[in-house]
Amino acid sequence: MNRFWKRLQYTKWFNISKDGIFKENPIVVAVLGICSALAVTNRVENAIAMGLAVMFVVTASSLVVSAIRNFIPSRVRMITYMVIISSFVILVQMFLEAFFPVIAASLGAYLGLIVTNCIVMGRAEAFAVKNPLKYTFFDGVANSLGYMWILIAVAFFREILAFGTLLNFRVMPDTWVNWTVMALAPGGFFVLALIIWGVREWAKYFDVAAE
Amino acid sequence: MKRILSIMGFVFAMGSITSLLIIGMDALTFERILANEQALFQSKVLDAFDVPYTTATINEVFIQNVEAIELDVNGETVTVYRDPKTGRISMEISGGGVWGPIIGVLTLEPDFVTIANVAILQQEETPGLGGRITEPAYLAKYIGVVFNPDVVVTKNIPSADNEVDAITGATGTSTRFQIILNDTHAKLFPLLQALEN
Repeated sequence: MNRFWKRLQYTKWFNISKDGIFKENPIVVAVLGICSALAVTNRVENAIAMGLAVMFVVTASSLVVSAIRNFIPSRVRMITYMVIISSFVILVQMFLEAFFPVIAASLGAYLGLIVTNCIVMGRAEAFAVKNPLKYTFFDGVANSLGYMWILIAVAFFREILAFGTLLNFRVMPDTWVNWTVMALAPGGFFVLALIIWGVREWAKYFDVAAE
Repeated sequence: MKRILSIMGFVFAMGSITSLLIIGMDALTFERILANEQALFQSKVLDAFDVPYTTATINEVFIQNVEAIELDVNGETVTVYRDPKTGRISMEISGGGVWGPIIGVLTLEPDFVTIANVAILQQEETPGLGGRITEPAYLAKYIGVVFNPDVVVTKNIPSADNEVDAITGATGTSTRFQIILNDTHAKLFPLLQALEN
């Protein structure tokens, strides 16, 4: 078991996944995708839906970019990413509006704004365009998982404090007074900041001031 | 020259493939999206008429309990919905908000001047300010307000029966919503009265 674990630690896909989920987490370390992390995290179900939508867009667009990376003329590569990403976002949006209208309504404008989520463009430019399909897949899934678990963590605290519920089930006693500010934007800032601080301490990631 | 041509070829191919994908997805989901929008409208009308329904039965309940009346407004057909039991009338309201269209449902008491209910279907107002227009607590303030002859959204404490409290910090949304309500009412009120007689 121990040997298996040691060998695992030296495989490329394991390291790619670890970077995406934890060591180079897009929200905690790179501080990308903050807008949606603040906006749609007042309920856990919204966070999960947003996480899945971003996961689909990141993975699919990275795979396409990686598959055609040898044909993309370098002058128009940014535009190429943009067209691919926005196509996938429109597909996700149509799908959710058709089959999950309630979730689409609660994500609102932020669903369309996945286009501007820097994680998607970031992974395409930083990873997919230089790496083969296999690793790109791990990188896309790992980064969106990294995004998703932070979103769920933020939503977990906000939903409990703001509504006294978790995935719409009552978890707080009836005497609990809803902490309304947690449902609003300031609550998102408070909780996200605390979580970023906590995870950075845990991951031993510190910004070193330039001297 | 050859490089430019190959770039153009690439861009053209990429554009065609992605457009085809989106057109295909649109064809697949178009009908369902329309049906969802219709169900949302019907659910708001049923809410205003106090008719119970479940998500699966909205359409059936709507057809059974709501009477659709077509009105001819200067050659344009406008459909209003009547509750045969209470005589309440629901109509779609729409118009420009601050950033995008505001679409909703206005329900009037049988006297055609007292508001029984207001619901919002679609809006793109500033979140936290004009966006509060969707909050049930705000829309509840419209219940019982009378078109006398207009509804006035006021920044002061409402003192007359045609005044409603505006949203603080959202003067633009408040005044535009007032215009939407008054325009729809002014357009349909004579026809509704004629219908009664």
